[in-house]
Amino acid sequence: MTAALHDAPTVPVLGEDTHAKRPSGVVVALSGGLTAALGAVGVALGLAVIFGAPRHLRIGWLLPLVGVRFDLDPLGGFFMAATGAVSIAVGIYAAGYAQRERWAGFPMIMLPLFVAGMLAVPAAGSVTTFLLAWELMAAASLALVLSEHRRVAVRSAGVFYAVMTQLGFAAILLALVVLSAAAGGDAFATIAAHVGGIAPGTRTAVFVLTLMGFGSKAGLLPLHAWLPRAHPEAPSPVSALMSAAMVNMGIYGIIRIDLQLLGPGPHSWGLTLMIFGAVSAVFGVLQASVATDLKRLLAYSTTENMGLITLALGAAALLSSSGAPKVAAIAMTAALLHLLSHAAFKTLGFLAAGSVLAATGLRDLNKLGGLARRMPGTTVMFAISALGASGLPLGAGFVSEWLLLQSLIHSPHENNTLLALTMPLSVGAVALTTGLGIAAMVKAFGVGFLARPRSPAAEGAREAPASMLTGMALAAAACVVFALAPALLGPTLRRVLAVLPAVGGQAAGPALGTYLRLPGVSGSMSPGLIAAALVTAVLLTLGLARWGRRHRPAAAVVPLWACGADSLSSRMQYTATSFAEPLQRVFDNVLKPDTNLEVIHFAESRYLVEKITYRTLLADPIEERFYTPVVRAVTTWAQWVRRAHPGSVHLYLAYGALGLLVVLLVAR
Amino acid sequence: MSWISRIWRIGRIVEPAPHAPEPSVEPPTGVAGSLQLRHVDAGSCNGCELELTGAFSPVYDAERFGARLVASPRHADGLVATGVVTHNMAQPLLNTFHAVPEPRVVIAVGDCACNGGVFTKGYGVVGPVGDVVPVDVEVPGCPPTPQQIIAALRAVTGR
Repeated sequence: MTAALHDAPTVPVLGEDTHAKRPSGVVVALSGGLTAALGAVGVALGLAVIFGAPRHLRIGWLLPLVGVRFDLDPLGGFFMAATGAVSIAVGIYAAGYAQRERWAGFPMIMLPLFVAGMLAVPAAGSVTTFLLAWELMAAASLALVLSEHRRVAVRSAGVFYAVMTQLGFAAILLALVVLSAAAGGDAFATIAAHVGGIAPGTRTAVFVLTLMGFGSKAGLLPLHAWLPRAHPEAPSPVSALMSAAMVNMGIYGIIRIDLQLLGPGPHSWGLTLMIFGAVSAVFGVLQASVATDLKRLLAYSTTENMGLITLALGAAALLSSSGAPKVAAIAMTAALLHLLSHAAFKTLGFLAAGSVLAATGLRDLNKLGGLARRMPGTTVMFAISALGASGLPLGAGFVSEWLLLQSLIHSPHENNTLLALTMPLSVGAVALTTGLGIAAMVKAFGVGFLARPRSPAAEGAREAPASMLTGMALAAAACVVFALAPALLGPTLRRVLAVLPAVGGQAAGPALGTYLRLPGVSGSMSPGLIAAALVTAVLLTLGLARWGRRHRPAAAVVPLWACGADSLSSRMQYTATSFAEPLQRVFDNVLKPDTNLEVIHFAESRYLVEKITYRTLLADPIEERFYTPVVRAVTTWAQWVRRAHPGSVHLYLAYGALGLLVVLLVAR
Repeated sequence: MSWISRIWRIGRIVEPAPHAPEPSVEPPTGVAGSLQLRHVDAGSCNGCELELTGAFSPVYDAERFGARLVASPRHADGLVATGVVTHNMAQPLLNTFHAVPEPRVVIAVGDCACNGGVFTKGYGVVGPVGDVVPVDVEVPGCPPTPQQIIAALRAVTGR
């Protein structure tokens, strides 16, 4: 009997373009070094602003009429430092990656530019500067996504990303122009001073438009579709930057514009954020748990984590407007902490996936495996990242998810139907998300790195070079710090929280010491002591086992048990598809998988099976249901408009003359 | 806690077991009263399997004499082999035998396993279990009754 497993489309081996020249070491080091240096400047400036006085910078000549204006406050400094930290790790990693993957010059120029754009966004102090930095970030990231443009999948992902990011930008542009027109000023400070006089209808319109724009950047449902396309197809350092730093800018926009400048808003704003966050988290993690492409899995995990952060933001806004600022401060701390830990473990995850991709040319988990022996360093790094993403103790995501759950559980819902309804539902959503997240990460790590290799490419994998390992080690160190000693972040988070009065900023946040203590509610936890207890238990068990071994006979070496067969083969292992099959079956109605099982019998007897063919295709159901009709309508409309463009110069001249005539008539 | 005290008061209600038979082999693990067994169907007609199931069912309850069926030879002290050994099952039987930690015991259940039975001259047959792995205890019968199987198991467990 033979069984052929036709699965998700595989990725062509990278580096097949063997004619590409190896880039010179100086250029590579310059690009990576500049990226890392920009990141270091971002971290230094961000921390200086958080712990010092706000800084202001005006460059009048750079833009006509309004000039460029940077105002850094603790909130902007926080996002700047987070982006900078990601850039340091990615910059060091990219130096080795570019050499190994034979990057052309163009992406190496764009990488520092992209980082500069991302650092400028949280520093912007006026609408014009903000939009300029935002567009620089979007354009640079688009260019980087397209750096392997010879592959069709990359071009398709690029078009998707370009359209969605520009539509998002248009929404933000419209919202901010309306806002600054209503407030009578371009600078954020002016808007904040005059926000009280803006009509509620205008404020709601601005909220809805910015939520759409920033939500699409953060990868929230249903505007997430670019994320699982662009992140896998971009080079891995770029995926790390986009997934760990750029999506944070969407969250920054929501906090800055919707919660700080416009807020405090009505209950419905917080509720909207919570709904979008919860749906994104559950849907993202569900798609991640059935994904077979390693980078696609990580991209969906980004949607999940951004959903959790948005849920926490919404909870903070709702609790604050319901008169529970202390619990709101816990939720807001959870959001900020989760943002940081997500940045750390997702950087690490994408960088480790990039090492695997560079070593094997594979992203398909069904073809990987056996990397623990061949790439021990990368395997340890990915394990740290996966532990962080699964939200278990000793992982980077644990403390923030614990804080989020505490804030949801301890919300005072006496005499408040809204809180009594939303908070338990949110607890359910977060719990489901965390549970499925563990399944997704166990699959990614267990199937991708452990057991035996499933393909010759995985069998021939070699460890990543030192600079790539160094970049990953930096991110891993950040993960460990967030997991074991969140106390180090306590002062930073307190100062950021202080500038956010709309979301519980006036109350004292949770005390992040050796013990995490929550003011006003009963609940405390100590990640450091949990880790110490675990390490002691492991050492004690190992010591006892070693002590007991002295009295036992020498161990016998026997072949592995292969269920009676002669030897084990990699075909006997779990694959990513088979591991996720039960989940896929349970969530059949949501995932809508397109599966096909074909059994071919021998002609002599239908009791004997000759061949089994199993094919499964998991597309994004939201993309299929919402995007396809829109794309089709736009295409039809474009075909119709095309008739006006027959290619005749005379006709075009006539259009010009007609247009001029209309303008003259109108402006008469 | 009334149910605990009720359990305590009532105690065990079972038919008294007949006297333990003479031990047939040394207890394989050196511990009397416990025997973890892995069952291998080497090519049986499933008659012996039915009786084996009966022996471990609540009616006969072989487990009260310390014998247990386990899911992997790695967990086992011995093998229970049924049926005549066919060509396809000869190697798996040998592999399973080697996967059981030493010292181990092999119990052949049924006439086919002991001497080939009615299938001795079959075209797909290697021979009785004893031709492939060393057999310590034989349980004759086609199929043997649960009482016979339990008697043989008690002779190994010593209970």
